[in-house]
This record gives sequence, C-alpha cells and structure tokens, in this order.
Amino acid sequence: MLEKWKLREVIVLSVLAVVFAVVYLVFLQFGNVLYGMFGLIGYDLIFGIWFIVSIIAAYIIRKPGAAFLSETIAAAIEVMIGNAVGPRLILSGMIQGIGAEAVFAATKWKNYRTWVLIAAGMGSSVTSFIWGYFISGYAALSPAYVTAMFFVRLISGALLAGLLGKWLSESLAKTGALNSFPIGKELKRGKTKNGITA
Amino acid sequence: MPLHKFNPSIKAFTVIVCVLILSVFFDPVTPFLTLVMTAAATFIFGRVSFKRWILLFSPFIFMAAVYIWSALIFSKTIEGETILWSWGIFTLTEEGFQRALSLGMRVLSFTSLSLLFILTTKPTEFLLSLMQQCRLPPKLAYGIMAGYRFLPLMKEEFEIIRSAHRIRGVPKARTLPEKMAEFKRYTVPLLAGAIRKAERTAMAMESKGFTGDKNRDFYHKISVSWKDWAYFAIFIGAVLFSTYISWLLGFLKLYNGEL
Repeated sequence: MLEKWKLREVIVLSVLAVVFAVVYLVFLQFGNVLYGMFGLIGYDLIFGIWFIVSIIAAYIIRKPGAAFLSETIAAAIEVMIGNAVGPRLILSGMIQGIGAEAVFAATKWKNYRTWVLIAAGMGSSVTSFIWGYFISGYAALSPAYVTAMFFVRLISGALLAGLLGKWLSESLAKTGALNSFPIGKELKRGKTKNGITA
Repeated sequence: MPLHKFNPSIKAFTVIVCVLILSVFFDPVTPFLTLVMTAAATFIFGRVSFKRWILLFSPFIFMAAVYIWSALIFSKTIEGETILWSWGIFTLTEEGFQRALSLGMRVLSFTSLSLLFILTTKPTEFLLSLMQQCRLPPKLAYGIMAGYRFLPLMKEEFEIIRSAHRIRGVPKARTLPEKMAEFKRYTVPLLAGAIRKAERTAMAMESKGFTGDKNRDFYHKISVSWKDWAYFAIFIGAVLFSTYISWLLGFLKLYNGEL
C-alpha cells in the first residue's frame, strides 16, 4: 500500500497524526469533564473529534489508506506520549480508521465531496461504537441509553469529524501550504465547490 | 532483569493478549488481582516511582468512578434480583452493584497493564522494534519518528504565535464564535508551518539517500530472545492465575453481553 506513496506524503501524514494526537489527548480531558456531568453519553457528544485526522488526511492526500493510517498513527503517538489507555488504543485507532476508510473505499478514493466526508465521519462512529460495545461493556447499560449514545455519536462524527475536518483542511489549503497536494491544486483551479479530483 | 530490557513489540503484544483474556470475564475479582500484580511488577521490576505512576493512573480512577456511577444509574434491572435500595426510577440491586464494580475494575486493570508498557518503553525503541520484528515499513517508521520530533518545535511555535497575538492586542475569546475563531487562529498557522517543515524534512531525507527500502541495515539492532517469550508467558500466567483465584472464590463469570 505504501509503495505508491511519496516520502513527502508519508511525512505529512505523520505530522498530521502527531498534531492531532495532542489534540486528542487534550479532548480526552475535556471528555472526562463531560463524562462526569452527563455520564457515558457525555463522551459521545464530542466523540467525533477523535476521527478528525482521518478526514483531514484523506481529504488532503487522497490516497488509499490515508484515513486508516493517519488514525492508527495518531493512536500510536498518543500511546508514545503517555496515555494510560495504552497499546489497546492503537487497536481502537485502527478500528476508527477502518470506518472512515471503508467509506472512501466505496467511492474508490475518487470522491471527496462534503457528503462523502460526512459519511466517512459517521463510518468511524459506527465501527468505534461496535468496538466500544464489546470492550467497554455497554451491554451492561439499558438498551434505550445505548441507542441514544449511538445516535449522539453518529451526529458527532458527522459534525466534528466530517464538517470540521473539511473546514480545517480548506482553511489550511488557503494558506498555500498544501499547493503540492491535490487539495491545493483544486483550490487553485477554483473547483472546491464540487470537490472532484479526477 | 528490569522491564526496560525486554523487546518492546513483545511487551505490547503481551498487553493486548492480557486485555483480550480479561475481556472474556466479567467479575470484580479477576481484574482486581491482575491490577495488583501488574502494579507490583511496575514498581519492583520496572523501577517506576509511585508518584509518577499515580499521576498517570489517577485520572482513570475518576473515569472508573464515572463508569460505576453510569452503570449503577442507567443499568437494566432484571426480575428476581436482590434490591438494596430504591428511589423513584432508580433501583440499586446487589447484582447491579457487582456489575458496576466489575466494569470499573476492568477499566483500571487495563490501565495498569498499559502503564506498565508506557513507563518502561522508549518510543524510539518501540518503533525500531516494530520495524525489525513486525515488518513495519521504514518509510512509515522514520516518518513517525520525524513527526514525533516536531512536537517540541510546535510547542515553541505555539508560544511564538501566542506572543504575536498578545503584542497585536488580540482580545481574549469569550463567546463560542470567538472561541472557534481563536481555535482557527492557532491551528491553521501551526499546521501550515508543520506541513511546510514536513516537506523540507522529506526532501532532506531523500537527498541523504533514504529510499524506504525494506532490506535496510540497522545501527541499533533489537532482538528477541527466549527471555522475551518467558516475559510473555509470565504475564499470561498471572492473568490466568487471577481467573483461577476468582474461580476458587466463586466469583468468576464469563462475559457474554447478557447484562
């Protein structure tokens, strides 16, 4: 998978992962506060933020594996910085990445319109929820509560990962730092509205 | 032999296998015993100070407390359970209490296993080991190492941006739209700078002859010996021992989502 990547792209991917690993750790503290206030569902309110690097990396680099690898590396970096969830977090990262990657794969990595980015964020919500259901024992909670958690997470994935990720990537492209990437070229051609790269 | 000396990949693999075994069971005793043994190993063989350990561990005590609270308040009540306390729509049963405790203990036992790994492993060695033992592509591994190196630089840049904002008299964000604008004001230049630097780093690496070839040589070789597998066996043994004790005490229960 990585043979077709340029070193430049791999390093940009890693740097994005490092930045968002820090962001993720900060939000973990924020999540804990919400958690204390609303119970488990408080966590789901901001769960989408933990998928954002998938959306940003895929939107910028536009190659198979960008969503999956960025999320996995971000999780690995979180572990390296020192997060007590530990190596298990890498597994969670992979599972979240797979959700977004599956959506991009369904478009053959060609379509990066807004709705695809939103669907990718929601894809991560679905896979992460299934994983969380088994590893964190959501089964111990009442079905109505679990259903509410799922829908809150789905919306969070759509907004905080999909839309916020798109907005951040485009703001970044406007600075000119992404001129050698598809997203930057697209911006130059003034085609950002329909979001097609092919 | 201190825990720092063992192979990082095997250490990480051990944690994952232990967690998987622990998630099969659902009782408070098994994870509690594992937690005690892991913490003891961290202090005795990992030579980690208690202060450093508890600093990282304490947020999870809080998290476990919330877990217990959530599981108590929002748990299903099954017919025929012993009711301890009831108030309005909230009912606390003996079984519900045990379930909540199991959930909290589970979180804490996972945390202690992970802390053992983090506090006794150097990031660079972990990446070198992943490359040498798990065939992680060098392109990715060195990319991550380069990215990791950017962290202190970004902290510095963050300070510079903050000072620049202060000098120009940017007011403190109070409302939500202001906070969003502030968030953008920091992240966009930070990310743009990081991406530009990443491109320069890639160029420098390639000009020095880095091809990302998998059949490369390593200056720092990380090996696997029988001791690493002994480490693996001892940890799995400890977890199985916990389940055995729990079974002897009559607590052991399989987790099958029935709750």
